[in-house]
Amino acid sequence: MDVRIEKIGKEEKEQVLIQCRSVTEEVEEIAAFVKSRQGSLTGVLEGRRFEVAVSDICYIESVDGKTFLYTKEKVYETSSRLYELEEKLRTRHFLRISKSMLISLLKIQSIRPAMGGRFTALLYSGEQIIISRNYVKALKAALKGE
Amino acid sequence: MEFKKFLIEKLTLFFMLSTMITAAVYLIGSAYDRDALFGYDALLSPMRYAALCILPTFVTWSRRELSMRELLFRKALMLVLVEGVILYMAFTSPVIDTGRMQVVMTLMGSVLVIFLLVNLFLWLRDLAEAGRMNQDLENFRRLHDEENRG
Repeated sequence: MDVRIEKIGKEEKEQVLIQCRSVTEEVEEIAAFVKSRQGSLTGVLEGRRFEVAVSDICYIESVDGKTFLYTKEKVYETSSRLYELEEKLRTRHFLRISKSMLISLLKIQSIRPAMGGRFTALLYSGEQIIISRNYVKALKAALKGE
Repeated sequence: MEFKKFLIEKLTLFFMLSTMITAAVYLIGSAYDRDALFGYDALLSPMRYAALCILPTFVTWSRRELSMRELLFRKALMLVLVEGVILYMAFTSPVIDTGRMQVVMTLMGSVLVIFLLVNLFLWLRDLAEAGRMNQDLENFRRLHDEENRG
């Protein structure tokens, strides 16, 4: 596989593009490595440990004392507590939207009203997450960059 | 929810209800008792009704956030209680002709319509809020993309 590095202008978005005939395990490993360079969390899936790229995580939920990382297709369990992740991922645009959930603002496609002053976040993954009314104010502030 | 915040919401609801009850009284009165004459005292009745209708809404208060199912149940309970309050007031009022089933049914129907309208207005308010948040979300994404490029 050839490796080519190309300089681009400031106005263009930096990206790593892999051109391949088929997505092999090796290609997936390279992609995972690139993503992990941007920050990752350790997650467990079916007894195996994985480095989950922060940029792949849509939301994080705490259920019965366990914390889960939700990507578009997979759910990993992590040993970290929700409040620890909230602190750790604050600069990565993760925000608490209910007592038991953190969401990546970059994964929200749109917001619409739900009942009782709550809102629903529609994610790019197609999932819908309820934003608790107690956290709406913080969400508005975060979106305004405050 | 904080009780103070809850009370402020109820105050907003009170004014919404007063307006809608005034409209309902006008419509029902025009249909069933067009020639009735009232004193200034009658001007207070929509506010009195609104204040009494606010009381059953306290069943929706909870310190912790209610689940969707709990909220729906409590809203339904609230509607039943409000219907009860209005019927009680109608049957004890010397002015309302509760002997006519049509009047009673219209009153109950009006309560349901006002209940639905209030919820529709609240939803429209939230829809406008969601619109503003979506605009901010778009700006947020644009800024994030620009930061990544820069």
